Amino acid sequence: MKSFQLRAFFKTLLKELVLAVLLLFGVSVVVFGILYAAPGNPFSVLLEGQLPDEQVLAGIHSALGVERSWYGQYLSWLQNLLSGNLGTSVRTGLPVAGELLRVSLNTLYLTLGSMLVTLCVAVPIAMYSSMRDQRVLISWPLTMLGYVFSALPVFWLAYLAIYVSVHGFGIFPLGAGQTDWVSRLVPVLVLGLGSGTISEVIRHLREEMSRVMNEDYIRTARAKGASVWRHAFKEGLLLPVSAIFAAKIPFILGGAVIVEQVFNWPGMGRMAWQAAQDRDFAVIMGISLMAALFVRLGSLLQRLIYTAVNPH
Amino acid sequence: MKKYIQTSAAVSDYSSLPLHKRFAIPDLVYVSYGLLIVVLVLVSYVVGMFDLLPQDPQQINMDLLMAPPGTAGHLLGTDFMGRDILSRLILGIQAYFLPGLLAVFIALFGGVVLGVLSGYRRGYAETVITYISNLLDSFPRLVLILLVIAAFKPDIYYIMMVMGITGIPAVANAIAGKIHLLAQKNFIESAIALGLRTRVIVFKHILWYNCRALLIIQATLGMGEAILLETSLSYLGFGVQEPTPSWGNMVQSGANYFLQGNFWPSTAPALAILFTILGFNLLGDGLNNMLEGKRGR
Amino acid sequence: MTQPLLKIDNLRTYFYARSKQAFIRSVDGVSLEVGRRETVGVVGESGSGKSITAMSVMGLVNGGPGVIGGSIHYASEQVQRNLLEGLHDHVQVEEQEGRVTVVRKDERGWQVQSEKLQQGIRGREIAMIFQNPRASLNPYMAVGEQIAEAVRLHGGIRNKKEAQERAIHWLERVRIDTPHLRYKSFPAGLSGGMCQRAMIAMALSAEPSLLIADEPTTGLDATIQSKIVDLLEELKGATGISTLLISHDISVITRLSDRVAVLYGGAVVEYGPAAQVLDAHQECKHPYTAALLASVPSEQKIRTRARLQAIEGEVLDTISVPPGCRFQARCNQITPEIRHLCATQHPELIEVTPGHQLRCWRFAK
Repeated sequence: MKSFQLRAFFKTLLKELVLAVLLLFGVSVVVFGILYAAPGNPFSVLLEGQLPDEQVLAGIHSALGVERSWYGQYLSWLQNLLSGNLGTSVRTGLPVAGELLRVSLNTLYLTLGSMLVTLCVAVPIAMYSSMRDQRVLISWPLTMLGYVFSALPVFWLAYLAIYVSVHGFGIFPLGAGQTDWVSRLVPVLVLGLGSGTISEVIRHLREEMSRVMNEDYIRTARAKGASVWRHAFKEGLLLPVSAIFAAKIPFILGGAVIVEQVFNWPGMGRMAWQAAQDRDFAVIMGISLMAALFVRLGSLLQRLIYTAVNPH
Repeated sequence: MKKYIQTSAAVSDYSSLPLHKRFAIPDLVYVSYGLLIVVLVLVSYVVGMFDLLPQDPQQINMDLLMAPPGTAGHLLGTDFMGRDILSRLILGIQAYFLPGLLAVFIALFGGVVLGVLSGYRRGYAETVITYISNLLDSFPRLVLILLVIAAFKPDIYYIMMVMGITGIPAVANAIAGKIHLLAQKNFIESAIALGLRTRVIVFKHILWYNCRALLIIQATLGMGEAILLETSLSYLGFGVQEPTPSWGNMVQSGANYFLQGNFWPSTAPALAILFTILGFNLLGDGLNNMLEGKRGR
Repeated sequence: MTQPLLKIDNLRTYFYARSKQAFIRSVDGVSLEVGRRETVGVVGESGSGKSITAMSVMGLVNGGPGVIGGSIHYASEQVQRNLLEGLHDHVQVEEQEGRVTVVRKDERGWQVQSEKLQQGIRGREIAMIFQNPRASLNPYMAVGEQIAEAVRLHGGIRNKKEAQERAIHWLERVRIDTPHLRYKSFPAGLSGGMCQRAMIAMALSAEPSLLIADEPTTGLDATIQSKIVDLLEELKGATGISTLLISHDISVITRLSDRVAVLYGGAVVEYGPAAQVLDAHQECKHPYTAALLASVPSEQKIRTRARLQAIEGEVLDTISVPPGCRFQARCNQITPEIRHLCATQHPELIEVTPGHQLRCWRFAK
């Protein structure tokens, strides 16, 4: 990268960071809004231990001059949030923040692995179907397969996978803390295939690649005898892939909730399900915020790739 | 070997051509299948609503457990409690039909309002609405719904409201995008120059003539997603509760039997989910290719 | 007489419009030649088949059925080949009353064959530059890199540094200022004229024998157009390259061509030395060429305030091609004797003076 490109890159990085922070603020407002609108006294019931007790609260209010309004409560809540206090789990009695970090990493592993699986399946199919001399007899069934996998309920697919791996391969993919890497692979495969994103990735990629193939500059590359792939790759593959995956992170995380529940995988998703059952608000609140963070980070990454590839 | 025939003079009226010449065959197949599914769902909903089910969905038959499909009186067999699967599947549609429609309606309505404001007004409104869209998109829908469930109660209508609201960005972006396209073609400028009133331009020209197809497609895809979400939720235990059937909880309760080798009680509802969502998705995609794709090739 | 560099013989390229269930007869029997060190200008209206002819030579025709007949003989020092060799093995054409009614084509098979035939031709023997230069360059790649790519592919230079130097050298030759800096520029940062110069550099850096220029000045500002034409003229002399120049702009054709072919309705209607074809006062003239020349403003016409003559009628619809002469509906030189012929029979190309051919019933004997 030349020096002037690097500078522009950092400028964009900064701009995107600011945008991400602004959005995360918005996220916190939404979450707080739900908290505030909940019946009962949200703070004492739902966020046990998150806010300091009455005396300290009164002290803060007099110092800041903020009344006990929603605004003031939001600020206090946010303050706590940013200092790492997300409240205590109703079920375990432990602070949420520590647990959250651990399970997030597990879910991150699951999510990234599944995206890799989706990529490995969807990209070849999409690239093949956008070629000029594809055999329709091959590309159409493959595309249909993508559609079927996207409509298949992922929980049923999980059962199938468990059955097959137990009876077919003797692998037991359930349970927490499996050290056997093969059994760790099964949930990743299931989420990768069943998260409902395959058909959309195929469709988006094929659309973009076909569009790029008809661009003038590809015609020039052909006329030049150059490798069409080298020229089409950036706009036809790299950019669309990063765009569609960044957009699909929320879906994949949603799928992770189910997959983690079935496979008893110690991640954010299973924790969220548990917390919803227990009405453990502090936990689910933390998870919502973390999930939104994942989404925004993914989006940021995609914007960075876009800026790095595009001439300024 | 591709064959091209021109027997007589060029055809002047494109719409007089038979369907299979105007549109690609896969798209026609997708749309036909999708429409079939929609009709089936509608019919089943009505059947379920008026309790015209073939068997009593809650009737337990201990002597007819896990009957395979095709057993007398039970077209799709029975589950692990001897209950008729077909009737339970039909009844299960009740769980997602109205809530799904509600979610789609909210998404379309909100999406159109925000999309038009953002696309037509531009400037400040556009920035704000883009921000809101990105904000709503930042949450995995399932997680947000779990949050709402934890704060309030697991009421399906609350849930579908959340589903609808989180579906707004998709519709809004599609509409705003379409408006940008029209603006690029100076369509809107011309309409304004002709002296047309804003209300007329927006409702008649933009929405009805140009966004009609888009909205139908968004509605079908949105319904597909709503079904997926409802079945996932009831699978997780947050939708309708046993013994009332919902496709999600049917798969869940059949889980143990699946792992023991009795596949059908879990697989029947899973297939129902598959074929139904497939139907909506294919309908949406097929319509998209037919209506928005290259015209008059 | 040595073989011409490029000999296109009875080329037919058709497309199929599904919406009309009919053939679009874009190129319907075009024959022309380009000799060594010669520039042949191809002039005609939009839709006359000029660009498609060029695309057919390079094997870049998209859409079906595409090229369905004819031959394209290329003969340079290094390579002699029919670029449409084996086409008839992949295509079957049925005709009825002289019009094509059915085309059966093994498109995938021909695609494979065509790519094989084009090996070593594209970029190396024949280079092509296009209209809309900014869109024709890869927006994601530095301009110099794209030229260097051509050099590495065809210029026999493997070394990256050397290729870069050669590219910069060519940037200089096409009169781009500060070539070292411009090397790293992206197309978005260059003006239309500079993009076209870069394209020319890219095409010529591989030192091909034939340059096909498809509307190289269309879309550029008028003053820039003139500069590009100057550049082409200069490079033509310096490198001795043959050119197939396609344009609807008569002034560009006039300045650069040695021979001119006039295309109408997918066929050549007049073909000969530039001096003769472009001479408005020639006696043997195709009515279309005459009308075309009469409609072009010139200094003399402006001075004498002569009326410009527009050509009556509409551009030929290449879908519903009438029987007989294609230009018949707009021709203002039909005499009663040949009226019947013009309406019913398509005239052949006839040599009226040595080297000058016409397709018109007025001059047929």
